[in-house]
Amino acid sequence: MPAGPAARDSRPPGPYVGWISMDAFFNQAFAGLSMASILLMVALGLAIIYGAMGVINLAHGEFVMLGAYSAWLLQTYFGFSILVSLPVVFLMVALIGLAVERGVVRWLYHRPLDTILATWGIGIVLQQLVRMGVGTDSRYVARPTILDGNVVLGGVVMSNYRIFVVVFSIAVLAATWYLLTRTEYGTRLRAVIQNKEISECYGIRSERVYAMTFAYGAGLAGIAGALVTPLVSVTPTMGTYLVVDAFLVVILGGVGSLMGTAVAAGLVGEATALFSFLLNDTLGRVAVLCAIILLIRFMPQGLFPDRVRR
Amino acid sequence: MNNRFRFDCIGYGLFLGLILLVVPWALDFDGFELNTFARYLTLGMVAMALALSWGGAGILNLGQAATFGLGAYIMAMHLKLKASAHMPDGMPDFMGWTNVESLPWFWEPFHSLPVTILAGFLVPVLLAAVIGIFMFRGRITGVFVAIITLAFLVAIQLVFIEEQRYTGGFNGITGLAPLELFGWSVDNYSLSFYYFVSGCLIAALVLALGLVRSKVGLVLRAIKEDPARVRFFGYDVARYETLAFCASAAIAGWAGMLYVLVLQFASPTYMGVPFSLAIVIWCAVGGRESLVAAALGGIIVNMLEGRLSDLFVDGWTLFLGALFILVVLVMPRGLYGLFQNLLERVTEFYRQARAERRETLASAQSIVSEPTDKGGR
Amino acid sequence: MAQLELRGLAVQFGGVRAVDGLDLTLQDGELRCLIGPNGAGKSTTLDLICGKTAPTGGEILFDGRNITGLPEFRRARAGIGRKFQTPSVFRELTVIENLEIARSARPGVFSSLTVFRSRYPGRMQEVVELVELAEELHTRAGNLSHGQMQWLEIAMLLMQDARLILMDEPTAGMTIQETRKTGEIFASLRGSHTMIVVEHDMNFVRQIAGTVTVMDQGALLAEGSIQEVERDPAVRAAYLGDGGNGHA
Repeated sequence: MPAGPAARDSRPPGPYVGWISMDAFFNQAFAGLSMASILLMVALGLAIIYGAMGVINLAHGEFVMLGAYSAWLLQTYFGFSILVSLPVVFLMVALIGLAVERGVVRWLYHRPLDTILATWGIGIVLQQLVRMGVGTDSRYVARPTILDGNVVLGGVVMSNYRIFVVVFSIAVLAATWYLLTRTEYGTRLRAVIQNKEISECYGIRSERVYAMTFAYGAGLAGIAGALVTPLVSVTPTMGTYLVVDAFLVVILGGVGSLMGTAVAAGLVGEATALFSFLLNDTLGRVAVLCAIILLIRFMPQGLFPDRVRR
Repeated sequence: MNNRFRFDCIGYGLFLGLILLVVPWALDFDGFELNTFARYLTLGMVAMALALSWGGAGILNLGQAATFGLGAYIMAMHLKLKASAHMPDGMPDFMGWTNVESLPWFWEPFHSLPVTILAGFLVPVLLAAVIGIFMFRGRITGVFVAIITLAFLVAIQLVFIEEQRYTGGFNGITGLAPLELFGWSVDNYSLSFYYFVSGCLIAALVLALGLVRSKVGLVLRAIKEDPARVRFFGYDVARYETLAFCASAAIAGWAGMLYVLVLQFASPTYMGVPFSLAIVIWCAVGGRESLVAAALGGIIVNMLEGRLSDLFVDGWTLFLGALFILVVLVMPRGLYGLFQNLLERVTEFYRQARAERRETLASAQSIVSEPTDKGGR
Repeated sequence: MAQLELRGLAVQFGGVRAVDGLDLTLQDGELRCLIGPNGAGKSTTLDLICGKTAPTGGEILFDGRNITGLPEFRRARAGIGRKFQTPSVFRELTVIENLEIARSARPGVFSSLTVFRSRYPGRMQEVVELVELAEELHTRAGNLSHGQMQWLEIAMLLMQDARLILMDEPTAGMTIQETRKTGEIFASLRGSHTMIVVEHDMNFVRQIAGTVTVMDQGALLAEGSIQEVERDPAVRAAYLGDGGNGHA
């Protein structure tokens, strides 16, 4: 979450529009973009899992948390930089996701509401396991040294690391899009989403496709978790509220639309930054929540409705 | 049907006997233990409130804690004002710390107990009505209801934590005076207080049962199965859903008020996502289809928590999570479903045994006359 | 006065015109059969009348009142009942509970709060005996046979006592005897209730007779008695030389 606007009192130099410092405004806009990029990576995993299987994965926040702890673990005990850990973290959390899917979620594909409950239970268990294994203290992970420093554009200060996160999230989006539309696996997945029974008649093992998809979504959450570690402190409960936001992003974007998820993440990130700037952090978040609820109510299909279904 | 009804009545009777007689006796009328159990009863009451909308109408409200918390804060405000009578301007201490000049207008009405109690019901109901009309007029169902109620819960909790000047922020409202009801100063560690809480639970149960067993309950069950079909019979589905939602909020607010009396403080954690989903867990463990079962679910899980978390602090949460996964996977209808299946199997067994006996009797007679169709049906 | 009037009714799904400028007038107490090849827009027409689907053009008049914009429960209250193609009864409820739901003369929340017991003797008993479900009153509807479920839904419509009843293939999956009995029930309703019956079984259409409307590609193709319609060359063409006999 970006820092609140101390700008009004201290009056930093630079151009002004009314009482709004343009520098503060653009700094805030950049903070919003940075938040949106994290949100996008969390929401992307959720969107794939929800879009493909109709599973509301409330343990997704815990996957993020596990990713963060994995990054911390790898740095503390092996001295890995986050950049080096990313593939390892992805695999670790994907494996945990796979275990969760095989162990619990696969029994609930025909009971979507119950997946909310079961995955919440999984979240409790994962959270508690971490608490028992690592403790409840906040953990910190150092930023990779290559990405130290800032880019300064006029009065706007952008840390290299945040820029990296934004670029990386866009790359992840592109990779996911490629995976879903241009590969054999993607074709199979889309076939299963369209009609599971018929796909099975053509020799697609839908069970396997589901498991892979769930693992991939979990892995993405893990990466998101690893990437936020230099920005926020790592705690066992860090994922609980993130999942609510990410879910709103998924639904706002429209089920089954990657583009929608990306746009919604951008909107929510920027809106949160903007409202935080105008009000304060908390009320900004409240305002955004209310705005999202309103949007969902009047556009239940989301910003980018799935055109195939209708 | 009649059998089912008899089964339910036996259940109600057992439940009454349990909380009115067995529990006080088993706890040796010990004030401290009774207070702890009164806490379980109020939590059972919220679980029951959730069962009213979730089991009764298929509305999975993940934000039930919001209405519970509102009731709790309203009661806490009254008791805080009472405790602050000797302060300058009668202002609560935490307002002094945050430089609030004078008592905010929305605190004023809570000097009066009748207003407080009324508000403890009406404010949650009003909130539920607004959210309910908002969602159900837009024909929001299923998963979307769950997500929207969850988002509302998060927003409400954020506001309560943020507005520290008026709500005590993270600390909540503490240092409360005891309630005075018709000149009876409520001692929350007494047997009479225990009976007061259980009386409230029973009254709420009776009212909720009235709703569920009336035609409204029937229409709601139909809505749970197929809302579109219900509309084609001329029922305004959104209205029925909103009614269930509001009734559930009223009971949750009631439980919230009682909870503050039991614990003597209000905290924003009452409106947290973990607490709200815990309510769902209790309800699911007991059985969402039955009000009494859901209440029992709340009581049992919290009782277990009280006992087990003393023994192994960390393990408890793990156990709770695992229990929940297990309940969802293995017994989606909760303990209630388990009992019902068992009962059905027992009655089926007896029915068959009786039928068999009659058959052997019949075949014994038929040997005398003449051997006919043995296979029968 | 005409009870139901459709004027230039149209609906589009994506680019497909499922119903395309349909005009239809029904007199009070009339029994109208709606036939046509698959995809002619028969079920969609019923959906438009009962409010399941919103039209993209045209208007619907019921008792001279424009109901085009009304939500489905208001149309139901105005007196329009619907039977769906696949039996849509409430499977989790018992037979008598299903019928209590269907008894919806007072559908308000507050009047429902005062009802605790189904009043069985009277109309409900008559209906139950008519459809031979008296033995199954307390059976969960989901445990009934397919034919019984069809009967239950018809019974529910009788309980609802709608003045205009829309039936979508009421005899699908019924035996010959059951079909004949359904025909008898429909005949008894004629005069007191207006009915639109979508049907594929031409024998059943002949049995219940009445006026027949033929639809094709979302529009009216022909209208008249069964004999007139069967002789109509356009109808024959639409049915691909089927000759109008047997199944469409």
